[in-house]
Formats: sequence, structure tokens, C-alpha cells
Amino acid sequence: MKNNMLAGNVVETQDLTKIFGEEIAVQSLNMQVPRGTIFGFIGPSGCGKTTTVRLLTGFYSPTSGTLSVLGKNPVDFSKSDRRKIGYLIQQFVLYPDLTVWENLNFAASLYGVGLFRWGRLNKLLDFVELAGDKSKLARDLSGGMKRRLSLAATLVHNPELLFLDEPTAGIDPILRRKFWDYFKELQAEGHTLFTTTQYVGEAAYCDLVGVMHGGKLLMIETPDGLRRKAYGGDVVGIRTTEGMNFEHRRQLESLPFVHGKVKVIDEQENDVIVDEANTAIPTLMEWCQAQKLNVETIEEKSPPFDDVFIKIIEMETANV
Amino acid sequence: MFRFLIRISSFLGKELTEIFRQPLLILTLVLGPFLIMSLFGLAYPDQNRALRTTFVTTNPGAFQEGMNLFTEAYSSVFIDQGMETDKELALAKLALNQTDLVIVIPDAPFETIQNNQQAVFQVYHNEVDPFQIGYVQTIANIYVNEVNRQILQTVTEQGQADSGSLQSSLETAIVKTQALRQAMPPGDVNAPQVTELEKDLTNLHENLATFRSLASGVLVNPFSVETSGLSGVQFTVTSFFAPAVIVLLLQHLSITFASLSIVRETRSGIMELFKVAPITAFETMIGKYVSYLFFEIILAGVITALAVWLLKIPILGSWQDYALAVFILLFTSLGVGFLISLISQTDTQAVQYSMLLLLASIFFSGFFLDLRLMREPITALAWSLPATYGIRMLQDIMLRGSSIPSAVFQGIAIIGIVLFLIDWILLRKKMES
Repeated sequence: MKNNMLAGNVVETQDLTKIFGEEIAVQSLNMQVPRGTIFGFIGPSGCGKTTTVRLLTGFYSPTSGTLSVLGKNPVDFSKSDRRKIGYLIQQFVLYPDLTVWENLNFAASLYGVGLFRWGRLNKLLDFVELAGDKSKLARDLSGGMKRRLSLAATLVHNPELLFLDEPTAGIDPILRRKFWDYFKELQAEGHTLFTTTQYVGEAAYCDLVGVMHGGKLLMIETPDGLRRKAYGGDVVGIRTTEGMNFEHRRQLESLPFVHGKVKVIDEQENDVIVDEANTAIPTLMEWCQAQKLNVETIEEKSPPFDDVFIKIIEMETANV
Repeated sequence: MFRFLIRISSFLGKELTEIFRQPLLILTLVLGPFLIMSLFGLAYPDQNRALRTTFVTTNPGAFQEGMNLFTEAYSSVFIDQGMETDKELALAKLALNQTDLVIVIPDAPFETIQNNQQAVFQVYHNEVDPFQIGYVQTIANIYVNEVNRQILQTVTEQGQADSGSLQSSLETAIVKTQALRQAMPPGDVNAPQVTELEKDLTNLHENLATFRSLASGVLVNPFSVETSGLSGVQFTVTSFFAPAVIVLLLQHLSITFASLSIVRETRSGIMELFKVAPITAFETMIGKYVSYLFFEIILAGVITALAVWLLKIPILGSWQDYALAVFILLFTSLGVGFLISLISQTDTQAVQYSMLLLLASIFFSGFFLDLRLMREPITALAWSLPATYGIRMLQDIMLRGSSIPSAVFQGIAIIGIVLFLIDWILLRKKMES
């Protein structure tokens, strides 16, 4: 976690709930988003991510609970409060019959950005790599270019807090990576980013990750913390020349810092869950030597976040 | 205040750019109505429709000459398609649209009249349009009046000719009465009676002379009528309809543009951005009004210029009044359009509402049916349409040369302001919900 996170929370919610008729969209959501972080809100489609963003931007009023964004309830935001936030909507909502430049100019006027803004607009277009396309009609842009234009329009008034609702949805992996590079740059400039995504793998780019499922926030953790929670510790992969037999595995499972069963990947490779990978690896090496096992590789594994996410959901479902 | 202006300008720039990016649309908007008005003027010449007329009589020889004279005199109304002796054949032609009118001349009309009865002309037509039926009835009345007039004139001329011998007899009688009076001895008791008789004969002679000296046409039709409008201008059909066409067009354009505006933004999702951005419903509303007014005022100016300079449509009143009337019409129509946009769920629904309003405006605004003919409760509907006020104002200013009718202006202004307030409240609710 970065040091600037200590500068206070820009978002705080307490038992935040939103109900539409009979449907509970968001249930008792408690969270804090520290200033200067990239906060990822992860969950499957329809789990309440967008509703949460809409509550945080003041688009919806909560059914119950309290929330504070930049120290205020978003429903009571003044114009100057609204200028401090930027909101990237999930779908492309700008005008297809306007050019890239005209759309950006429109967004700037909407936020009351001063008339001498050409420099800023050009800089933004450079940032999202659309400088060469400023005369193109929005309708002629590719999906990725539209997302980049939307991002530029969100940044046009230089907001300190950005709400990005599925900014990488529907775009190719290379562009997605580029978007996260943009986000890191924005974070480096001092912006706080609250972003939702259904690409679980993108959790790795966030400082903090909130896992949402069925309208409930299951947990908030760092990406590493998420893995540890999902697997009950760090995962260490041991590859030996001879391969382990049943007795080896039984002994391995009886070590005090090893949790659960040894997972057999193939004849030579086995995964174990340990408390702390850094301290466990030397001990495991010694144990292998004591067992006359020739270690080819031993290293901490980072399971894909898709697996992490599924594990967490399974755990929570089992708890319920 | 500065930021307020910047935010409003966002809509001005956006809406105008979107419109001007469609040159074909602008060309259609400007030239379309102008071409329609031109074609309308060409399509409807300033004269009545002449009816192809077939006469039916059992005795063609007796009426042929009279009919020829009549149809020649009224060639602008009747096109003579000859005489038929078979009524059924003539009616069959009428059914096949080979003739417009069948006039059946009564058999032995003079005998009927001598029997102290009216001789009836049967007139048949195949019209379904109530206005055309009214026109045929008027033409039939003209026809029968003309026949009556001709008969009276013929009888009068006959009387005038016949009275020549009567006048000679009277002159002889007067001379004889004078001789009788002079032959009477003074103090004869019968002298005053003879003098009285002579005076009566002389009066009768003078009246007869007057009767004979008057033209038979004047005697039969002693009165005629001349009509003239206060403006002193002879209006063509195009001139008369031009103000109403301009009003309907501007109203429809305003309503269509505005009705699609907000509903599209709601559906595209950008309204979500407006709700989060530091722009208020009031600023959004003002921005949209200013954008569309700006564009439509230019459009109205071009259409008016073309109508005045190319179609020679007069504007007898002041240009300032004309401009004010157009402005308030556009303002109020935009209010109607935004209201439609705010209550519609889809583009299609908004277009349907706009079309319904156009239809209502055509039927109820006085576009082609005079409002004074409308039943009282329905006039309330008529006066809820901006076009009704617009047509009234523009006809007064353009054709009568009057100043802007203040009650009408106040009426439309109140509607416009109320609509603005309703639209603002609805948009605020939409942005806050």
C-alpha cells in the first residue's frame, strides 16, 4: 500500500443499502477507500457494482445506510463538489455525430472548464493516444478508441476522484493493459481511482480489491491478501526429479506450517499451502534434502485471480 | 455566472454542430417548405373549378341556343359537354367520371309555370367531399338564378317591345283628352274630371317611357354588389396560405427537434453524466432552448426571405411584429417538443406524438377551416396549439397589415412560459430521480 493512502479516506460507507422494489441491489456495504489508491471493485455481472458506483456518484439515493464521498453525502453535492469527481459510464454515451475534439470540448463545457482549454484537451488526447484522430467522428471510432475518448472526457476537468465503471469491458487484452498503464499514471499524479471490473485478473493492478457477489461486499483485501484468503496461505510449488510418494506427502502435510492436503499436479510436481512462502521455502528445501528428494524448482506460485475469485465465492457460499 | 455561460454554451455548440453536420437536412428544411409553397401556388390557380356539364332534355332543339349562350357566358364555371336526351346515359357518364354535373331540364317548363308551379331543374353530381358538394350546390344555384334571370329578361324585353304600341295609344288618348278639355265650355262641371284624366294619362305615358328606356338587364337585376378588403390587396391562394404554412412548418420543426432531443439523451445514457456533472436542469433547459432557438430563427429568416422575395408573399405589417410573433411561436413550440421528449420513453413514441400534434394543428388551428365555424368547446383545443396563435398573428401581420394582436400574443406567451416551467420541473425530476 502506498504512503499517500494514509492521507484519509475519500470514500466511506456504513451499511449502505439500495433496494429497487423487491430486489436488493446492494446490501449493507461497508468500505473505506483511501486517498490516492486504485480501488478495484470486482464481481460478476449484475452483482451490484454499477449500483454502488451510482450511489457513490449521487446518481442514486441510498435506501438506507450512510455514505461519504470527499467528506459529503453525494446527494448533497454542490457544483464545486461535482467538479472534483469524474465518472466514466459503462457504455459509450458521447455523441456519435460529433468529432473526438467536439465531444471532448462538450464535456469540458459541461464541467465549466475555462475557455482557454485547448492545451489541456490536446494533452488529454495525447495521453489517451487520440491526438491524431481528433477530427474523426465518434461513430467512426473503434470500441477501444471510444473507451479512450470516454476516459479523456472523464479527465477533462482534472477530477481528484475518478469513478470508472467497467472501463476495460469489451476491449482487447493489449488495450486493457494500456488502460491500466493510464490508471497507474493517473494514480501517480495523485488521483484516486475507484474502478469496477468483471475481469478478475485485473485485481492484480489494484491496491485494494473489493469482492462483490449478489449485492454483498464479501471482502476488501490487497491482491496478495485475496490469494491468501482464498487458499488459506501462500501456495508453494515443489518440483522434484524423483517425484513424491504417498508417505512423502503424508509427512509434508504433517509439517506445522503446511495447511491442508498436498495438491498433486503431476508425478513430479506438488503444491502446498504454507503460512508464509518466504520463510517456508528454506525449510521445505531442507525437508526435501532430508527425504533424499532432488529439488528441481521450489517457488511461490501466484494462482490466477479467476481461481482466487471462484475459491472466495465458493467459500462464502459454503459459509452461507 | 461565467461557468453558467460556459455550461450553456456546451449545448449551443453541440446541437448546432450536430445539425450543421447534416447539410442535406438543412437544405431540405430551407428549400422543402419553399418548394411546397411554390408547388401549392402552381397547383391551385386563383380561379374556380370549371365543372364538365351535361344537359339532359327531351327537346334539345328548343334549348340548344340558350344553353350555348349560357355556357359561353359562364365558361369559367361550366364546360359544356353537350345535350343528352337519355337521362340514364348521362348519369352513367357521371358515374364513370366522364362528366362532373348532369342538369336535367324540366319537360314543358312554360306549361308548368303557367299552371302556377315552379319548374324544377334536377342537378346530379358524384362528389363526396363536403366542400365540393357545397361548391356544386352554389353552382346549381348560380345556374338556376341565371336561367330565371334570362327568362325574366326575355319577358321584360318582350314587355318593353309590346309597350311601344301602348305608348302610341296613350299619346293619342292624351291628345284626345286635351281636345275634349279645350272643347268644353267654361264652367262645365265635368272639366275637373277631364283634367284629372289627362294628368293620369300623361303620368302613365311618362312611366311607360321610363320603363321602355331602362335596360332590361338593369330592370331584372336592379342591384349588384362590389366587395373590397380593408388591406386593398388582392390575395392569391398562395398568399393566403403562406402564413399558415410558415407557422405549421416552424411549429413542426421545433416540436420534432425538441421532442427527440432529451429522449435520445435519456436512452443513450448521457443523462447519467448530466446528473453527475455540475450542470443543473435549469442550465440544461436554457442551453437547449438557446441552441434550438438560434438555429430555428435563422431557418425562419431564410424561409421568410424566400417567401417574400421569390413567392412575393406580402408582409403588410411591421417586420418587428413579424419577428416577435415568430420568436414566441418558436419558443412555445419548443416547450411542447421538450414536454413530449420528457414524457416519451422512445424516439418512436416522440415522433408519434409530434405527428399527432401536426395532425391536430392542421385540423384545429384554422389552417384550412375557419375557427369561427368551430363548435365552442372544441375551440379550447384549438387555442391550446401554438399554431393557432401563430396563424392568427401572422395572418394579421402579413395579410391585414395589423400590429401583433396583443391578446393572442399574451395567450401564446403564457403557454410558452408555463411549458418552460413544466419542462424544467420534469427535467429536474428526471435528473434527480
